[in-house]
Amino acid sequence: MTTLLQQLLREHRAELLADWLKSLHAPWEHPTPQDGTHHEPNQRLHALFEDILTALERPPSDRFELDALDPLAKHLRQLVADQARRGAGSSETIGLMLSLKRLISKRLIEQSPSDSSGDLLWLEQVFEQLTLLAFAAFLDIREHLITQQSLSLLELSTPVLRLWHRILLLPLVGVIDTGRARQITESLLEAIARHEARVTILDLTGVPVLDTSVAQHLMKTIDAARLLGTRVVMTGISPEGAQTLTKLGIRFADVISRATLRAGIAEALLMVGQRITSIEDGRP
Amino acid sequence: MPELLVSERIPVRIATDIVIARRAARELCERLGFGKADQTRLATAVSELARNVIQYAGEGVCLIEDRSDGVSRRIRVVVEDQGPGIADLGRALTDGFSTGGGLGAGLPGTRRLVDEFQIESAPGRTCVTIVMAKPF
Ligand SMILES: Nc1ncnc2c1ncn2[C@@H]1O[C@H](COP(=O)(O)OP(=O)(O)O)[C@@H](O)[C@H]1O
Ligand SMILES: [Mg+2]
Repeated sequence: MTTLLQQLLREHRAELLADWLKSLHAPWEHPTPQDGTHHEPNQRLHALFEDILTALERPPSDRFELDALDPLAKHLRQLVADQARRGAGSSETIGLMLSLKRLISKRLIEQSPSDSSGDLLWLEQVFEQLTLLAFAAFLDIREHLITQQSLSLLELSTPVLRLWHRILLLPLVGVIDTGRARQITESLLEAIARHEARVTILDLTGVPVLDTSVAQHLMKTIDAARLLGTRVVMTGISPEGAQTLTKLGIRFADVISRATLRAGIAEALLMVGQRITSIEDGRP
Repeated sequence: MPELLVSERIPVRIATDIVIARRAARELCERLGFGKADQTRLATAVSELARNVIQYAGEGVCLIEDRSDGVSRRIRVVVEDQGPGIADLGRALTDGFSTGGGLGAGLPGTRRLVDEFQIESAPGRTCVTIVMAKPF
């Protein structure tokens, strides 16, 4: 049996691709000459587009699994690597995928508002995995670059990503001093207000040392975020980091901590999901 | 006794020096075969001490040495400054005491993180010596 989604992807492939490319802006129109290898960015995007559509055309199931050696996984990692090397934030790759997801779900809903829910769920599944994969790849590369080029890269911008409806992700990378902490807090608060976020995931995977000064900055950021009504999930504290924090006598009160970003995202989704369910349950 | 004594002297004047010092400590730790947990503990301790130097004394130095002997691997770090000194050492080593609006966990926490901890302070000089050790 052909699903609506499969049909849509087959019939509107060219338009989808055109719409998608149009929706992506600046960075793609200016390939960077600095690394010598002049990639044709559109070619990369084409390949990624085909890969993603192939994945979406699989028969829907409860769980979308992506093999690390799958061409899609490989292309995604390459794209993220290119962007990280250019100094772009992870928001770029993730934004580009979310944009494709938006285009597809829009068409899907337009075409059949009533029976698209199964397809939409599948769409969520696939893009959720892809986003996680891209983000994990991004962290790997950033970490690698940081150890390689040390100080020059420590001044990194901190993007606040809207991961899902009402869920923000703040991936902290590098040294957090007073100036950066202030900037991070400001952009986070602004994003929380703009997106009416309920949960903020604070990912510390890229923070090299969690000493008392960094901890104090984080506490202030967390307090501020709470004042605006979001809950905070911390992720990416290594076992050694956790042990050290304990020795220092530092506790982040009322913060849920998860070892991995993946677990943190699952927790955040649960929080948002529970909220939505309980409100609907309360209605007659 | 080792024939080649590794020793590194890092000036501590600006914030990036903290990064350099703790990185050097972590690297020596790794080179001597300490595990990840030890590396993190020492790097964090050095971070605390170096930051105190910048915050409370303006500037100082951080000396990182391989002091391994036949029995154990040992890293000794001495962080020293010519600042105002600590008026009340007992209180400074108490959790939560800070004259700089900090968490006041740096000195007491560092003491718990390392295997040996020594502090001397008088007006004009503060010197903290820490050691990480692990039997061969
Ligand atoms: N090198 C130093 N010179 C002078 N005073 C210091 C120095 N290091 C620490 N202190 C004093 O000891 C107190 C406690 O230090 P610490 O435990 O690191 O906490 P914090 O840095 O959060 O204040 C400081 O507030 C400061 O008064
Ligand atoms: Mg301190």
